[in-house]
Amino acid sequence: MKPPILIIIMATIMTGTMIVMLSSHWLLIWIGFEMNMLAIIPILMKKYNPRAMEASTKYFLTQATASMLLMMGVTINLLYSGQWVISKISNPIASIMMTTALTMKLGLSPFHFWVPEVTQGITLMSGMILLTWQKIAPMSILYQISPSINTNLLMLMALTSVLVGGWGGLNQTQLRKIMAYSSIAHMGWMAAIITYNPTMMVLNLTLYILMTLSTFMLFMLNSSTTTLSLSHMWNKFPLITSMILILMLSLGGLPPLSGFIPKWMIIQELTKNNMIIIPTLMAITALLNLYFYLRLTYSTALTMFPSTNNMKMKWQFEYTKKATLLPPLIITSTMLL
Amino acid sequence: MLKIIIPTIMLIPLTWMSKPNMIWINTTTYGLLISLISLFYLNQPSDNTLNSSLMFFSDSLSAPLLALTTWLLPLMLMASQHHLSKEPLTRKKLYISMLILLQLFLIMTFTASELIFFYILFEATLIPTLIIITRWGNQTERLNAGLYFLFYTLMGSLPLLVALLYIHNFMGSLNFLMIQYWIQPLPNSWSNIFLWLACMMAFMVKMPLYGLHLWLPKAHVEAPIAGSMVLAAVLLKLGGYGMMRITTLLNPLTNFMAYPFMMLSLWGMIMTSSICLRQTDLKSLIAYSSVSHMALVIVAVLIQTPWSYMGATALMIAHGLTSSMLFCLANSNYERIHSRTMILARGLQTLLPLMAAWWLLASLTNLALPPTINLIGELFVVMSSFSWSNITIILMGINIIITALYSLYMLITTQRGKYSHHIKNIKPSFTRENALMTLHLLPLLLLSLNPKIILGPIY
Repeated sequence: MKPPILIIIMATIMTGTMIVMLSSHWLLIWIGFEMNMLAIIPILMKKYNPRAMEASTKYFLTQATASMLLMMGVTINLLYSGQWVISKISNPIASIMMTTALTMKLGLSPFHFWVPEVTQGITLMSGMILLTWQKIAPMSILYQISPSINTNLLMLMALTSVLVGGWGGLNQTQLRKIMAYSSIAHMGWMAAIITYNPTMMVLNLTLYILMTLSTFMLFMLNSSTTTLSLSHMWNKFPLITSMILILMLSLGGLPPLSGFIPKWMIIQELTKNNMIIIPTLMAITALLNLYFYLRLTYSTALTMFPSTNNMKMKWQFEYTKKATLLPPLIITSTMLL
Repeated sequence: MLKIIIPTIMLIPLTWMSKPNMIWINTTTYGLLISLISLFYLNQPSDNTLNSSLMFFSDSLSAPLLALTTWLLPLMLMASQHHLSKEPLTRKKLYISMLILLQLFLIMTFTASELIFFYILFEATLIPTLIIITRWGNQTERLNAGLYFLFYTLMGSLPLLVALLYIHNFMGSLNFLMIQYWIQPLPNSWSNIFLWLACMMAFMVKMPLYGLHLWLPKAHVEAPIAGSMVLAAVLLKLGGYGMMRITTLLNPLTNFMAYPFMMLSLWGMIMTSSICLRQTDLKSLIAYSSVSHMALVIVAVLIQTPWSYMGATALMIAHGLTSSMLFCLANSNYERIHSRTMILARGLQTLLPLMAAWWLLASLTNLALPPTINLIGELFVVMSSFSWSNITIILMGINIIITALYSLYMLITTQRGKYSHHIKNIKPSFTRENALMTLHLLPLLLLSLNPKIILGPIY
């Protein structure tokens, strides 16, 4: 894609999200969402093949539906409260509609079906933007309307998301689908705590974005999209395999890595609110997530897969791929505890 | 406490920056020096604990375990030298760094004063152990072993996290020294039963309890020697230590809840001892004997009498040293014949007489010969369980007999009799191996002269 066009499109994506985060008028928020979605479609279609077109179409359909649902919720709120300012939503129907729309945008269960397929159809870079930047805008709106969200609805969605994210990722070997299911599960954790303590949601979102950015960057270094191609990394970049090991354990939420911080804080907030069974269930289901991360590390870092050459280290040209910001990202995603 | 933690952290730059032929020497020497520092903590005031800081403290229960942990690091390094000699330098340094990291987490776990801090480090010890087992184990089964190890422990300990946070909410603080004064009796109700279960299951899995012990033979057998040593000697004791700390919060419900676990432990120790009699794999035999000894510790902790606590502490230390020594002996066999099958290397007494002496002493301490501290531990536990219920003496007696049977079976199969004809050209014992056995045995025998230091806080 020509650089000027890329810059304009990227700027539109960022502006869209910024507009969503910074406005207090519901119409402007909707405009921000639409700007964001329309601008990211060309990014998703960077590689012009049918799979990418299918992925962008699915993304467009779900996001457009969600935006329309959001608009309907806004209109009902306008009807019952008479103003467009984003604040406490007085009408429960409007609140439920808005919550449903935003969870559709995020990819929470039961609206999670688009996430793996869209993530699989696009390049790693686009997938990275999809799973990290695109979550910021809906999450910021959920944060702002958090006092009026129906707790039962969101908790149900969160619980089913954690279950779906855990079980869905078990049978995958494609890295993008694994990261998609990981995103579903983490969104579940975030959604569970919004109504109780929204600050923890921001903490979880930040750490999740850091860890996912690092993971995708490590995958992009090797241009690997399957577990098999990742397993050849010990031959080329042995240091990166250790990084993947620690990063995967951090994503799985093992102490003392920083992936444990959100889980600990969320369980703490939930127990303070007298919910004991739900955090226990969520924590145990997160072990399913840990299983497929661990399987990735088994094939990558902890065993030496048979590879195409017979030498200990592959001879190659001087390393040219830029790993921008990779070391600080990795450090913050693993050592923050 | 920092005077132990900072030097242990500094051991990691030491390995990475030493000259290639000095890495083992440097780390072993400084590891021994650190263990000497930890011995100072054994001098405890009799009525209180030694408070080092806001976050760390050491009392008569954790000080011997701390000394055991720091003593074990140089021993692990000495034991690993042979099987790592062929690896490239970076991998050797990685291995040593994993061991040092594990050591660091264990030191902090045993001296943590806040229970969430203890929990985080308890879980943190899993990661280096997993890496050691899966990366440096020798057979394909090690992948499965690592998975079983990690997931059994995590399934047990996630409810512990929820329970600890609930108790934190309920009591206001989880600093162990403070909540001892705020304890209220825990009445019998369904939610308290679940609280009790959530608190205890993590440690039960770690000990391991008989029904949940499936991870242990896998992990012990597939781990390399340092992994086996640290697993048997220290990581199992984490479970015992945790149980002894957390049962202070759970009275008097423990009297009601303890019955199923007591039955499982009492029956399980006989079952696992009997399995030892039929094992062909040497490391598997030692692993099952670990389960059997730890079942005694579970029984002791659940009875909650002064004598049983003394017995549990003594048994933990004694079993740590004995089990680690048995694994070193099994490893010396493995390095020579590259097989763990016992009958392949028989009659070693004629070929390696000094090693046979170490085998004899290790087996004798394993079967709790007087006056070793193994006997003190087992005897205290047997006597206190007799006072809890008279019938347990039958089960305990059967266990002691079967323990003696399999220890002697292991000794006789590997040492006595005519040697198998194909092991005539094994290498003779290295000085390093003899030093390793001596360093295991000396504390064990010397402690029988003054067992007061390992008898725990009730003494």
